[in-house]
This record gives sequence, structure tokens and C-alpha cells, in this order.
Amino acid sequence: MSATIRIDPILCRGHAICALFFSDGVDLDQWGFGKVAVAVVDNPRDLRRARRAAAACPNGAFVVAERVATPSVRA
Amino acid sequence: MTVSPDVSLPEGLLTTPGAHASAPFATPGPVGPCVRGLGDPGSLLLAGAPAGAGGGGLDGHLDTWGALPGVDGAGVRALLRASALDGRGGGGFPLARKVETARLAVGHPVVVINASESEPASRKDRTICAERPHLVLDGAALVAVALGVDEVVLHLHRSPDSAAPALTAAIAERGLRGVADPRWRVSAGPDRYVSGESSAVASFVDGGDARPLFTTQPLATIGPSGRPTVVTNAETVAHLAVIARIGPDAWYAHGVPSSPGPRLVTVTGAVPHPGRVLELSGSSTIGDVLEADGLPAPPAAVLVGGFAGTWVFGDEAWQTPFTRDALRCVDAEPGCGLLGVLPHGACPLVETARIVRYLAGESAGQCGTCVAGLPRLAGACEDLASGGLRRRGVRRMSALGDTVLGSGACGHPDAVVRLIRSMLSVFEDDVTRHLAGSPCRGADHPPVLAVPHADLVVGRDDQREWT
Repeated sequence: MSATIRIDPILCRGHAICALFFSDGVDLDQWGFGKVAVAVVDNPRDLRRARRAAAACPNGAFVVAERVATPSVRA
Repeated sequence: MTVSPDVSLPEGLLTTPGAHASAPFATPGPVGPCVRGLGDPGSLLLAGAPAGAGGGGLDGHLDTWGALPGVDGAGVRALLRASALDGRGGGGFPLARKVETARLAVGHPVVVINASESEPASRKDRTICAERPHLVLDGAALVAVALGVDEVVLHLHRSPDSAAPALTAAIAERGLRGVADPRWRVSAGPDRYVSGESSAVASFVDGGDARPLFTTQPLATIGPSGRPTVVTNAETVAHLAVIARIGPDAWYAHGVPSSPGPRLVTVTGAVPHPGRVLELSGSSTIGDVLEADGLPAPPAAVLVGGFAGTWVFGDEAWQTPFTRDALRCVDAEPGCGLLGVLPHGACPLVETARIVRYLAGESAGQCGTCVAGLPRLAGACEDLASGGLRRRGVRRMSALGDTVLGSGACGHPDAVVRLIRSMLSVFEDDVTRHLAGSPCRGADHPPVLAVPHADLVVGRDDQREWT
């Protein structure tokens, strides 16, 4: 299970709440606008944090796009 | 689920030119470096009489080029692949890949020809649309054939020198003469810098604001309407119309592998004819272009690729071929093909500060870091130009640039940072002189590059309408 995280810079209003929940995943600038530090999250702990950050963002700017693992073609 | 365009391409899409065996066209040798103006012999896009002398009419067009050969969708896509035609709006993305992505995506594609040319000093798209409207329309019709669509949107800006009248007249003439065309829709958007960006164009054409979108997938996969959207530059499709006539190989031979085909450039600034559009072939250098316009010797510096481009030291630029590979060696890109010439005696820091202030005012006002960061960068550039900055201030400006880089939905803030970085590295001596408080050698020089709204001290905080 892995997920791609993105911050929509147009929706982001710099509340910086995502950084409270997922501090190592987000780089904040001096105004509080976030940039994702890690684009792909693949461990359960970080995925949990990323989901919380997404749920907490008042503007819906923090997006977690989860990818369902596809069965490997190789055995 | 979406696959990236690279993965979804069928075999053989990126074949090298010349690989198609059954070409009905003669295979020519490479074309040497040469620079031509409108109507000069040997030119392709600019061939024929000027529009005033009948060159812009359908008869003049047919005299020069003959009728558009009948090709089907697969044929047009083969032409695109074989010619390796790259986008001329600034991105340089291969049109074959855009078209192929849209064709394989879900939904009926939208085709938009972007003739907005929001780069203030650039004139190439306006020139090609006003002087050779039928070449643009032929090419646009071919893109429609390649994608099997029956409507094409021609997007322009509502600017006083818009080429819309020439295009509308040409469309009417084609209608009367029964040219088999798609349905044309002429769209006129706000005349703002970022409104020419492809996602802003796609958004406007779909009825939204002419402001860039935050996209996670290519427009050619899914645009704002939910349909695959191909936004391509007017010069690009004009090339396609030429390729359909002379064949991909003959066209390709006008360029070099990194920059196939001939290209249009606009010269501006301290040149004999600012705003003149020239067509160049082969590995013509920037010096060749400027010499063709009548500039006898290398200038102090050249701004390559538009306001969102980079500075190149004059002597260095003079020797550098205007091709993607060669420009990369001097940290530049062809961009929209603009060459802004800075004369000896003018202050590059003042010129850069004026451009950065303009670009800061042209932010779409959407992304926080761009809104907050660009005016500060502009202020820092002005302080530096006026001698009010010390070494620490320059360091702070660079750090702010690092913050701003990559922060926006579109490339606008990044372009500003790149321009400032190139100023700091190319004009290191000037920067040092300004820091030391020595009198600026260009203090009395009149402004060189025509920057809109340059009379305003602060950027435009009025968010004029985006519709």
C-alpha cells in the first residue's frame, strides 16, 4: 500500500495544520504555505499521518492519492 | 488509473526522422545556418509576399504552397512523429506525444490553438497569424484530422495588436471558397501574462477563469472539461502545415536533432528593428540573428527566451547556436524565441528589476508563495539596482528564491527565480559594483526592454477580471 501526497498550492491558505500532523512530510515556508517533502508515502505510520493531515486541512488542499497495490505479474 | 504518457505510447512513436520507409517526399541534405525575414527567398513559414501585398490571402497562400494534400488521421500522426515537431510556445513538448496522449485518453478531445502570445515583447505568433493566417488554419485543421474532431478553438488575447481580425478574415475567405475545414471558434481572453499558459487557456476556453490550474495529469489526458485537451501554439501548427507540403525530412533538415525544423524568433531591445520576426535554420547562432537585423557587434548581454528566460553574456550569446542543446550549455532555453538585447552602457540590474516587478504584478494571485514572494523579490531587485542592498541582502534574496521555486501551480514563480539567478551569476561584476555603492554605469541610460506598466512603482494589485 502506498500513496502519493500533494498540496494544491491554489487551495492552500497557509494554515499549516498539515505540518502538525505530518511534520516530516511537509516543508513550510515563512508564510506557512506547504510544499510536500516526500511525494510518495509507503509505510503505514506515515500513511496514517498523511491521512490525518488531509482530514485536518480546512481547504482540502492536502491530498492523499492512495494506490491500491496491483498484483505483481512476476510470481 | 492513468499511465504516464511515456508508458502509454505505442511502439515506434518516437522513431527518428527518416525512419519511415514509404515517404513520398524527396530526402534532402541538411540545411546550413541561415536567417531570413518575411518574404525572403528560402524561408518556409515566412515565404511569399507580405499580407499587405496579398500574401495573407488564400490565393497568395495557394500560389506559395498549393492546396493542402489530403491526409487521414494516421497520416498526420505519422507526419508529427517523423518530423519530431516540438511545441513553440515555450515548453518545447513534442506535438506527436500530446496528440497521441489525447487520442488514447478517455473522451472526445478538445483542440485549442494558442495564439495568445502573452509574452509582451514577442511578436512571432502575431506575425505568423497576421501574415500567414492560412498556414496556421491549415495546420490547425490537420491537428483536428489527427484527433478526429470537428471543432477547433483559436485562442487569442484581447490586445490592441491582436491577430484576430486577420484570422477571422481568413476563416471567412476559406468558408466562401469551400475549403474543407473543421468548425472554427475564435476565443478572446484577457491580456494577462499568465493567461497564455496552457492550463489557463484550457480553463478559459472551458468557460472558467483565464488563470493557471493545479493539474496532476497532463491536459492531453484530462482537461478542465473532463475531456482530453490539446493546447498547442500557433507557430507549431503553422509548421505542421509546411511539413504536410514539403515532407517531414525536408522540414527536419532545417534544424538540428535537438531543435528540429526552422524556428521563429523575435528580436527586441537595442536592435535596429525591435519586434522584428526572423526565421532561422540549422545551427544559426544568436549572433547570426542579431547581425541579420543589423547589429554589427556583440551587445553587453542578451535575454534569451522571453521575460521568463535567462540572461546570457553578449560575447557568449553571439557564438551560441539558437538550438536547445547549445542554449543549455549557457543555461538558457529557446522559450518563446525572444532575444532581448542589452546594449553596452545600460544597467542589467535595472532592466531585470523592471521585468521582475512586472512579472510580480502579473501573478494570477492564486498560490500563496507566489503572491507573497514575488513582490518581495521585486523589491529586493529594485534595492539591488538602486544600490540599497548589501551582501547579506543578496543572500536573503537568494534564499527567498529557493523558497519560491517550485511553489506554484504553474511555472510563473519559478521563471522569476531563474531570471534573478541568471542575473546574479551573469552580472556578478555589476552586482559587486552595486553592493560597493559605486555609481552605476547605466544610471542615466533610458530603459531598454519595453516592459508594460513600467510606470507603476508597485505591481498591479488590482485583480482585474480574468474572464
